[in-house]
Amino acid sequence: MVPSRQRRHLFQCLDTICIFPDLSAMKNKINFQRLVLKNWVLIFLLLLICFFSILEPAFFSIRNVNNILIASTAVLLLAAGETFVIISGGIDLSVGFIMGFSAVSSATVMQFLFAKGAGYPEPVCIIAGCLAGLLLGLIPGLVNGILVARFRVPPFIATLGMYGIANGVAMKICGGFPVSFLPPLTGKIGNGYLAYYSSKSGLSLFQKPVLTDRADILALVRLVPVSVIIVAVLLIIFGLILSKTRFGQHTYAIGGNVDAAIRSGIDVPRHLIRTYVISSFLASCAGVLLVLRFTMGNHTQFGATYELFAIASVVIGGASLMGGKGTIYGTVVGVLLLGSLEIGFVMIGVEVFYRYIAVGCILIFAVLVDQVFPDLVHNE
Amino acid sequence: MHKSFNFSDRDGLINLLTRIGRNWAIIFLLIELIFFSVTGTGYFSLLNFQNILVASTTVMLLAVGQTFVIITGGIDLSVGFIVGFSGVICAKTMVTLVAAGASQILSIPVGITVALIFGLVPGLVNGLLVAKLRVPAFIATFGMYGVAYGVAEIISGNVPVHNLPPAVGFIGNGYLLYYLPGKLSLFRMPDNLAPEELKLAVGIVPNVVIIALFLILIFTFILSRTRFGQHTYAIGGNMEAAKRAGINVSRHLIKIYMISSFFAASAGIIYVMKFVTGRADAGSARMLDAVSAVVIGGASLFGGTGTILGTVIGALIIACLEIGLVNLAIPTFNLYIAVGAILIFAVLVDQFFPEITYKK
Repeated sequence: MVPSRQRRHLFQCLDTICIFPDLSAMKNKINFQRLVLKNWVLIFLLLLICFFSILEPAFFSIRNVNNILIASTAVLLLAAGETFVIISGGIDLSVGFIMGFSAVSSATVMQFLFAKGAGYPEPVCIIAGCLAGLLLGLIPGLVNGILVARFRVPPFIATLGMYGIANGVAMKICGGFPVSFLPPLTGKIGNGYLAYYSSKSGLSLFQKPVLTDRADILALVRLVPVSVIIVAVLLIIFGLILSKTRFGQHTYAIGGNVDAAIRSGIDVPRHLIRTYVISSFLASCAGVLLVLRFTMGNHTQFGATYELFAIASVVIGGASLMGGKGTIYGTVVGVLLLGSLEIGFVMIGVEVFYRYIAVGCILIFAVLVDQVFPDLVHNE
Repeated sequence: MHKSFNFSDRDGLINLLTRIGRNWAIIFLLIELIFFSVTGTGYFSLLNFQNILVASTTVMLLAVGQTFVIITGGIDLSVGFIVGFSGVICAKTMVTLVAAGASQILSIPVGITVALIFGLVPGLVNGLLVAKLRVPAFIATFGMYGVAYGVAEIISGNVPVHNLPPAVGFIGNGYLLYYLPGKLSLFRMPDNLAPEELKLAVGIVPNVVIIALFLILIFTFILSRTRFGQHTYAIGGNMEAAKRAGINVSRHLIKIYMISSFFAASAGIIYVMKFVTGRADAGSARMLDAVSAVVIGGASLFGGTGTILGTVIGALIIACLEIGLVNLAIPTFNLYIAVGAILIFAVLVDQFFPEITYKK
């Protein structure tokens, strides 16, 4: 008779020996599952690109990739700002209308200076307009932040109020009509590309080569839109701020546990105000970019539902509405998923409205993945 | 002596503040009415008050449904687009039936019933997602917001649904009573009127308002007098406690989201009856107003508080403002600013006088 303790030990050893190969296989399987689930958005995006490319080969072309990126610029910026707010445990519903507000105000300033024009050269008008839009665009964020952080208004309500106010003010500034007659240079910046390549004139930077032959014009390859470069620079800066700086660490800390963050000496109200200002700043960058692209400033339409797309991208990108989780990288993948879906639907001839349905479904699916496989997704 | 006098004086002041804090919404509504009556032309008249009521029906219905959801601590962002969704279904059904040769009397009730039944589906899905799959209410209903809008646009084919039976508008724009000096008639204008007489005829109590009032009264009773209502407050106050007390929380939540969806569907049908068209984006701008009305009416987004009376007052504040601004020829976009500002103000009042507004 082996003493019980030894026996147990023996069994444990046996178990380990017997199960070991199985266990490692299982571990591999779990690791694989975890990898798939963690990156399901990226995989979904790749599958979607394959799907659309097979159905419509033109989907997989430089021109179309440019189009998808350009179409995503506004939402990319809105969603990046929203990421900060959502990580801190809040929500910002006003981003879409802040974008419209800053677009309208920057266009109005440009129009004003340009019309008075004799003394002001175009670049001055444009820079002044952009600065005005960016600076004025900080105000809604500041108000949101103060309401949320100092007066403890729930973020949902504070930003819902701002949603109405920013929209109203934007419509008041523009009178309900697009602000146009801006300096022509505006469009050249916003719709320009970093490089143009033509078999005739070779590679040229920034300047569109002068081509006379129609075939040559059609064959001109445009590389890297300027608007995408601006967005990429902003995203990289704010991505680094979020992932590499103390500011970013504090944002996660506040979202994870506000009380712990306060106890550990973080000035939470000040931090929250900055978070909302960042969101508002990126929204106004999006607004200014819209002015540069369309050579006019328009208020955001009610049906545009930018906030839906921004919040959906952030959540699809893996952030939790409870705060403390999310990355700019995930958000970018989320935005590109929705952007490819939009352009893809248009290209294969599906009605645009299916996009709304698809976004709603993917959004709910993203949260379900989070709910159903919490350990797989959350365990780092 | 002096000291005690001071003390009672302060007590009186606190009492006064308490009263103002508790009833600030209704005081605000009265101030608004007085202000617009003094500055506007024809604001203080039976006709205009009826207009205000008619204008407020959509927001009021949406907000009453939203009250239930907010009391449980959730939120329903999809209501605005469920209005369009059910409106389009209602209109499309009626148009199809009439085109197939059915009579108006048959096609209108069938259209309404179909719209009400389909209007419950988004609520059911919302409820299942929130209660069974534990998706945060905000996300579940936000997803539904996209889905409902997309489906509505597809059904309507991106154009408003026209060619509805004419009786639809007769119901939606009709009044309970028509009054002419010397004559009173129910539901329809007296026949054979001279044009001068037609100008004098006054409609009293719009049909739309009666329908809305009827629904609101039923659900006020449900919320304040039945066990269902008590459970709603209990879930919002403390979900864990509600579970321990044996309430079937997930079933209750599904019902709550269906109620909200039902109200949105009714608002969609009323839209169809008022404008004799079905549009997918009919209620898109109304989500803000509905949530605002509930919060202005004293509900807390954290759940557990809120009344339908408060919500109705909140909806009236918004409607009075809307009509008042039109009356003063101030462009409507000021309304968005005003509603946003009042919404934030409402929550600030809540934050500054919590013990005042919540004290029973």
